[in-house]
Amino acid sequence: MFKRALLFSGFCLLFSLPAQAFDFDFKKALDIAKNVQQAHKDVDEPEEIEIGHGIAANLLGASPLLADDRVQEYVNQVGRWVSLHTERPDLPWQFGVLASTDINAFATPGGTIFITQGLLSRLESESELAGVLAHEMVHVLRKHHLAALKKAARMDIAAELANGVLKDKANSAGLNKAIKAGTEVYARGLDKDDEFEADRMGIVIATRAGYDPYGLPAVLQILESINAKDSALALMFKTHPSPQDRLGLLESEMGNQFDGYSAPPLADRRFDSEIIRHE
Amino acid sequence: MRYLYALILYAFLAAPVYAVQVAYAVHSTEIKLLPFSDAKTVANLDEKAKVNILLRQGGWVKINSKNGNGWVRMLSVRSDSTAGKRGDTGLISLLNAGRSGSSGITTTTGIRGLSEEDLKNAKPNPLEFEKLEKHAVNKAGAEKFARDAELKSRQFDYLPANDNH
Repeated sequence: MFKRALLFSGFCLLFSLPAQAFDFDFKKALDIAKNVQQAHKDVDEPEEIEIGHGIAANLLGASPLLADDRVQEYVNQVGRWVSLHTERPDLPWQFGVLASTDINAFATPGGTIFITQGLLSRLESESELAGVLAHEMVHVLRKHHLAALKKAARMDIAAELANGVLKDKANSAGLNKAIKAGTEVYARGLDKDDEFEADRMGIVIATRAGYDPYGLPAVLQILESINAKDSALALMFKTHPSPQDRLGLLESEMGNQFDGYSAPPLADRRFDSEIIRHE
Repeated sequence: MRYLYALILYAFLAAPVYAVQVAYAVHSTEIKLLPFSDAKTVANLDEKAKVNILLRQGGWVKINSKNGNGWVRMLSVRSDSTAGKRGDTGLISLLNAGRSGSSGITTTTGIRGLSEEDLKNAKPNPLEFEKLEKHAVNKAGAEKFARDAELKSRQFDYLPANDNH
């Protein structure tokens, strides 16, 4: 369908050319049309969501959800509100607290975001939670994992992704391969620059949603203060730039532009009653 | 005797809510009288100077140091994780002004489950995925949740990338 539309637009282009261009090389024009088509051969949104849901189901296979409906609902409320301040507010955003003592958070393509119980338990305000979730949202917005998947995937998977084979429901093998390769990206991590970008954009998204811009930096300072040898941080530290480097960049990027932006006290009091009530 | 108990209890309750935390200046910076960049400069904090952090307010922390007392930017000081022997505390309470401690979801027990190997060998768990979908919140629910805490949307443009790293 898309191909047909492209061809059609190609014809339109052809007839809208000025007269002197009519002696153009037909083969060359076809090549250009092909390249344009290639550039658009991206994973489309339904595919992105399907791959992301598959990866999310795998992550849940590694760690189930924390069995606490109220905490799950609270994290979904914070996350969904923050997501409305992104460029993709209509994705099927969903959030889950994983029952793992590891300190980490994950985003899967299409808008599924996880935070571990280990990380959530170290947070002290809704602004910090919003900062973590906003950082993860940027990975979804900027399709960091899809890019990593394409870069790392074996050629056959990359070709299938490029050819839109996944749209063919009969080809679930292709989808499963993509999901398996996709899950492995979480063990390796993303490019450092993707993480820096997620910090830089995440603080802005949290600020737009009315939260303290320093929520995410505060979390990074918490991570910095935890003994680096603590095994709960092993994967986080392996897959992310050091908190020191991230804080150093944020310091120079934020400057004094965020002075005067704070969160309403009610939000932080709410975090106490929703999360700290467990004490 | 009862008075003594009352006195002890009172002393306990009146104790400072948050402990002083130690951190170090990552570079020299001005100590301000108030947490604003145009506030009066009290002194200059030396690079690597040790500071005691009393509380945080937005992007600022209130400190004591050998150079002087006042406010410095939160990101100009860092905790020294190598010096600390504790595994899981550090800056937690100092960076959350007025808080008495971290949240209480238990972390001492439970499963790890998210090591590199675990992720490579993960098999899908469709039942847990169903639960995940069940907890999702719609836009209207999220907007009500924001109103309940007086959270308001604000305009803010993305920052340009810093290419110096």
